[in-house]
Amino acid sequence: MKKQLIELRVNGESFELAVEPQKTLLEVVREDLGLTGAKEACGTGECGACTVLIDGKPILSCLTLAIEAQGKEITTIEGLAKAGELHPLQKAFIRYGAIQCGYCTSGMILNAKSILDENPKPSRDEILKGLEGNLCRCTGYNKILEAVMAASTGED
Amino acid sequence: MEELSYVGKSVPRKDGVEKATGRALYTVDMVLPGMLWGKILRSPYPHAKILRIDASRAERLPGVKAVITGKDTLGIKHGFVETPRYPPDQYPLAMDRVRYIGEEVAAVAAIDEYVAEEALNLIQVDYEELPAVFDPEEAMKPEAPEIHPSHPKVKEPYKNIGGKTESGWGNVEKGFDESYLVREDRFEGQLRTHCYMEPQATLASFDLSGKLNVWTSSQGPFIKRAKLATTLGLPFSNVRVLKAYVGGAYGGKIDLFSHEFCASLLSIKVQRPVKIVCTREEVFESARHGQPIFVELKTGVKKDGTLVAQQIRVVNNSGAYRGSGVVVIFLCWGFVMLCYRIPNLKYKGYSIYTNNPVRAPQRGHGAPNLRFAVESQMDTMAEELGIDPVEIRLKNARQKGDILPNEDSVRNCGLVECIERAAEATRFKEIYGKRKSQEGQRIRRGIGMGVSSYFSGSLIYPNTSAAIVKLNDDGTVSLLTGALDIGQGAETILCQIVAEELGVSMDDIRVVAADTETTPVDIGAWISGGAYVSGNAVKMAASDARRQLFEVAAQELEANPEDLIAKNREISVKGIPGRSISFTQAVASSISKRRGNPIIGQGHFRTMKDMPAHPSLATTKGRWSDNYAFDAQVAEVDVDMETGQVKLVKATTAHDCGFPINPLLVEGQIDGQVSMAQGHALWEEVLMKEGKTLTTSFLDYKIPCAKDLVESHYIDVITERYEKDTPYRTKEVGEGYVSGMVAAIANAVYDATGVRVKTFPILPEKILMGLKEKGDKPR
Ligand code: FES
Ligand code: FES
Repeated sequence: MKKQLIELRVNGESFELAVEPQKTLLEVVREDLGLTGAKEACGTGECGACTVLIDGKPILSCLTLAIEAQGKEITTIEGLAKAGELHPLQKAFIRYGAIQCGYCTSGMILNAKSILDENPKPSRDEILKGLEGNLCRCTGYNKILEAVMAASTGED
Repeated sequence: MEELSYVGKSVPRKDGVEKATGRALYTVDMVLPGMLWGKILRSPYPHAKILRIDASRAERLPGVKAVITGKDTLGIKHGFVETPRYPPDQYPLAMDRVRYIGEEVAAVAAIDEYVAEEALNLIQVDYEELPAVFDPEEAMKPEAPEIHPSHPKVKEPYKNIGGKTESGWGNVEKGFDESYLVREDRFEGQLRTHCYMEPQATLASFDLSGKLNVWTSSQGPFIKRAKLATTLGLPFSNVRVLKAYVGGAYGGKIDLFSHEFCASLLSIKVQRPVKIVCTREEVFESARHGQPIFVELKTGVKKDGTLVAQQIRVVNNSGAYRGSGVVVIFLCWGFVMLCYRIPNLKYKGYSIYTNNPVRAPQRGHGAPNLRFAVESQMDTMAEELGIDPVEIRLKNARQKGDILPNEDSVRNCGLVECIERAAEATRFKEIYGKRKSQEGQRIRRGIGMGVSSYFSGSLIYPNTSAAIVKLNDDGTVSLLTGALDIGQGAETILCQIVAEELGVSMDDIRVVAADTETTPVDIGAWISGGAYVSGNAVKMAASDARRQLFEVAAQELEANPEDLIAKNREISVKGIPGRSISFTQAVASSISKRRGNPIIGQGHFRTMKDMPAHPSLATTKGRWSDNYAFDAQVAEVDVDMETGQVKLVKATTAHDCGFPINPLLVEGQIDGQVSMAQGHALWEEVLMKEGKTLTTSFLDYKIPCAKDLVESHYIDVITERYEKDTPYRTKEVGEGYVSGMVAAIANAVYDATGVRVKTFPILPEKILMGLKEKGDKPR
């Protein structure tokens, strides 16, 4: 299919790209922009590994066309640490052992960020409900919950 | 005892920042200049002859660079097990026959995935369908279609026997005669699957020096190298398997997979890098799943619950090739005899070929099936005898120092303490057996216990681990290890050991890992020996480096090397405050004193050093492991008596893992296994119909999600310790805890409902059916 010229704003930077209209945002950030933190585990909207934030809201980038994301602010995991300082969620995930293989981590952290942005003091159940769409086969979610709780209370 | 600074501490994982920032590169992320994409054509038939393959149209499609079929290969077979009794039985690309739906028939390399996919449609394959068989008991019948000839050494009139294990001692018949109570039950396991989040993926790049470089999502590079080199007809040294981060494996990425072979052969053919990433659907449909096993169990006990005799028949549906089927029927024997003392035992295990996809180990490899059977029956017998579940387990539990029938010692076995402490922490005896008092309640609480044991490393190629520790000019340390971190935290615990031995900090250590070219051999992350075998190799290497450094430092400090200690980046003389030099200074001085000869420490460790090989898979004779972990786990469940829904509310794991090198990582391993056990016991199942997989997505095959989180409690039963200058014995923590927990869940469901479900998963309808049969009216 004929390529289309689009402009994407990712992690605060603008990129002009020629993409096929059927290309997903996941493919474009991974292949065209080299931002491989977003992962594909299913490609069909069932696992959350490909989660990125669009205007602060979590979306499944495997189900989103790149052209639809024009003119919006896209945040990938690579854009979370500011000036070399890790985001409190990133720190908490490391500290509380919420990462094992790490394949689900980017999506999990970004989704957790959107939960906390909306509700800085979520309950245990609100966190678990919010993370329901992000599958993790390694951790059983226990340490992930602890990490998000800790980040929400500002504990280091 | 000297206080430890790093070992035994919950140090955050070494690769945490890379993973938390999205910088860690997995195989799926790797890209090389000029890289092509590969795709695989798979058999649509469960059993067929390949009459003809015409790839000419695919080859002519613009963008296609190569097509390979069985004819382009050397026709060398491979197998999970390759022994004289069990020679390899699977071609990496089908030659003249396919034996399961999804078997690899051809592969294409093209400029992108879409062209490659299109090319697959242009490959014309003519098949002649053959009769197929899917059920192991059907496949054993004399009239069944023959998938492979029955194993020549199995003298029974069964068809399609891939392997058989037979073992035993004492006299079971006599044992049953002398028993007060004898029970026979049959327990069935389901087909379940790993669901590693990173799909199977490989990038192969054949370079102009004749070397094949391979990145692949795996559980250890050395076994991959061996099998790739053999099937490709290359010397081992011409295949280099390199590290990439691994997005989960759980047993599903161990030996050779066809996509790895195809990416490699295509790269050799086109002299360009070729990458193959399987789709999730492909993983569900044609990658290897776990082992579906059924267990027939006959047990005799005395009136006081003491085990007298046990007879076990295990049948595994191995799929179209042996895969790990002949290993799992050996292991099932092991998982029967480890936990309890059994005076008379008779064991038979069969691995049966069927026209299903091949099977692989999955976390616990047979143990969950076996412990489900044994522990369920044990509770039933306890109830019939009027003994409580804790007592009957304590009565029969392995004790410290027991010698197993294969002459292994269980040495410091903490099973009794595990059972006692798990029971105590959960107030088991108070909660258990309250079915009557909950009558009329819609939600009923049940509690159950399961015990299990797992080995920590055995002798299967490459058998051994070695390590190198280099002291760098600037006072940093480089660790070269062949171990692969698949998420379990291998690199972290190995660095803790180096930090402990050298008195440097975690940040001072750089790791070069899992590269068959630059790092020494390693047993791999699939035989439960990482912490024990690789860890000891690293310990030796680090203490060798320290010994060399102390020789120099002793001269500087005018002391004896034996009087020195290394701590906090300093080397000091014991008992003389102030007499010290910095670690960096000592390294600098070693460079001049040793005339530039750098300090390089070497270490090597092999479990059961003098044993030539693994035990006999046929007879179980020979040493299996010299280090066994034990656990007792308790599950508390809530059962909705109207819907049959079971909720695992709380999981308690009391475990003898020797000692934890990193408690935080150990907890993570336990949580992950509890979660897998929850899915395994309660709902996961790969559904198949006539060889075709019906559950091909995470929607069809549901794994636990955040809302299924289970409260998880840990009790460490410490039986071993870490000391400087001598090998330690810590035990495995990575896969043994699925099995105790699945058993505990089944027992807890019974405790709540009085329904004994003997087939996994314990679906609501099975509970409701059981209640109906019992004549229990829901409320
Ligand atoms: S990859 Fe997008 S939801 Fe799984
Ligand atoms: S850490 Fe491995 S899938 Fe979540």
